[in-house]
Amino acid sequence: MTQKISAGATGLDEVLMGGIPANTITVLMGAPGSGKTILAEQIAFHNASPETPVLYLTTLAEPLEKFIAHGDSYSFFDASKVGVSVFYEDLGYMIRETGIETLAERVTDLLIRYKPKLLFIDSFKALHELLTSETHRRTVIYDLATALSAYQCTSFLIGEYAPGMVTQLPEFAIADVVLNMMRHITNVREQRFLRVEKIRGSDSIPGMHAFAITADGIKIFPRILTPRFAPTYRPKVERVNTGIKGLDDMVAEGFWRGSTTLIAGPSGSGKTIMALHFIRQGALQDERSLYLGFQENPMQMARIMHNLGWDTEDLISSGKLELMYCSPVEMQMDQVAAELFGRIRAGKIERVAIDSLDDLERSSVDKQRFADFIYALIQWFAVENVTCMQTVELSHLFAVSGVNVTQEQVSNMCDNLVVLGFNTDRDELRRSVRILKTRGSSHDEREHTLEISGRGAVVTKAK
Amino acid sequence: MTSKSRTAGTLTTDNRVLILVVERNPAVQRLERYFLEQAGYSVEFADDGLSALERARELKPEILVAEILVPALDGLSLCRALKADAATSHILVLIFSHLHAEDRALEAGADAFLIKPLNEKLLIETVETLVSKVRNEKGTR
Repeated sequence: MTQKISAGATGLDEVLMGGIPANTITVLMGAPGSGKTILAEQIAFHNASPETPVLYLTTLAEPLEKFIAHGDSYSFFDASKVGVSVFYEDLGYMIRETGIETLAERVTDLLIRYKPKLLFIDSFKALHELLTSETHRRTVIYDLATALSAYQCTSFLIGEYAPGMVTQLPEFAIADVVLNMMRHITNVREQRFLRVEKIRGSDSIPGMHAFAITADGIKIFPRILTPRFAPTYRPKVERVNTGIKGLDDMVAEGFWRGSTTLIAGPSGSGKTIMALHFIRQGALQDERSLYLGFQENPMQMARIMHNLGWDTEDLISSGKLELMYCSPVEMQMDQVAAELFGRIRAGKIERVAIDSLDDLERSSVDKQRFADFIYALIQWFAVENVTCMQTVELSHLFAVSGVNVTQEQVSNMCDNLVVLGFNTDRDELRRSVRILKTRGSSHDEREHTLEISGRGAVVTKAK
Repeated sequence: MTSKSRTAGTLTTDNRVLILVVERNPAVQRLERYFLEQAGYSVEFADDGLSALERARELKPEILVAEILVPALDGLSLCRALKADAATSHILVLIFSHLHAEDRALEAGADAFLIKPLNEKLLIETVETLVSKVRNEKGTR
């Protein structure tokens, strides 16, 4: 079994299925400002101890002093370790004196002197400026790889490599692991992703994983994937009370525990109030319930519920009702999922309302990924036996029929689909509700009226 | 380091235990020389299995450290050849390789096995264990 070292960055060990394989060479690549040096120093300080010395070699990109000053702004940077278990050396200075041909020899000198268990060369790519030809480049890097693989040490080569260089530069051939840190910029919005481009002798979670740079360093949010195991079959189906008077009666077998219901409707049709009913009802029944919203912060949501005449303060203070807010401005959907499932698993949450999917979709870099994400999310809710209500906004104002009411096939993935709309009755605008789909149950297919008052929402049956 | 002053299976003139290392990777050679000499041993090198066999017959080192993947005669065949010859069978063999071949090394008669890459603490501890074994054997004769 491959021995691994912990990266010390939240989520990265999970992406790498346990950590970075020990005694290997990792290339940490990415655009300027993508967070490579932060991650490298985070790994360095996390692992450094008198028994596990770390050697950090700077080259020609930035002076040594800048590395130390930069690292000092993060909580993982422990100044007391510098010179004790984390050693900085200026490799650039050494090879300027003796020539790039002596790179392997100089690194071996340093291996002998410090006996490091982790070694970083930052920036490795900057050394290419001293390599005059392709043959020269291959020889020098081959010699370095030979030196690094001779000693029991996990090495990291850091550089501003563009994706096209992966097939061209020899360090990618000698690397056992390649981690690519990317910045995705659309208009004024920026998102960061990490992808494992290569890993030998180990597995990893494929795809792009969102990450954030925080005061504690890099935090990675592993991409949510469909669970590898199916939800446990439960012969006895348990019904869930949605708390929306009149709605549950429209479904013969009721809404199942562990199912996901999509509430689709135009703006103002009552989606949010239905989601609030749903989680409040859970909390009243002693089921821990969570409302995830992107528009109103928890204080605003509490005020909305208070205005409905609901006494939710006790439910919130007792932990039965949790209001989770994510700003849609810099949101990354895998970050939201990581935080959501963190809370679900930590607090045994049984109900979740997500209001709305539109805000999540806006944070997605591509439509297929959004559809995959929602599918995986629904499957995980089923595995965790969490009953979920999600809302999505429809552009058409009046009542619709048909199954694919949403563009990304989300309605197909959900167990139940409830469509809200408006009807005009002479001069009066009336809200409507119709169940279009229930999985494993029959339902009342007729359109009914959704009445919203100062005390909440009620479905009134058509005569 | 010269080899003229050696006597069969004994210490060098400066009382250091002699170790013959069969290794073709210059980086590993350099690290092995440094750590073994630091630990008080005298170190000689051979780049391939055949020359190692000749040098072992000539130098009579107390310990031979061999990579399996060396030219001319692989480390395991070298070990078998040494153990089959009464003149060299007393040399303790440490197979130190990138190849996970502990069982094969022991079958070939090796006295110890270590996997690369080099961990100086493990290497020195293993060599020290072998040296104690040599001394114990000499003491009981």
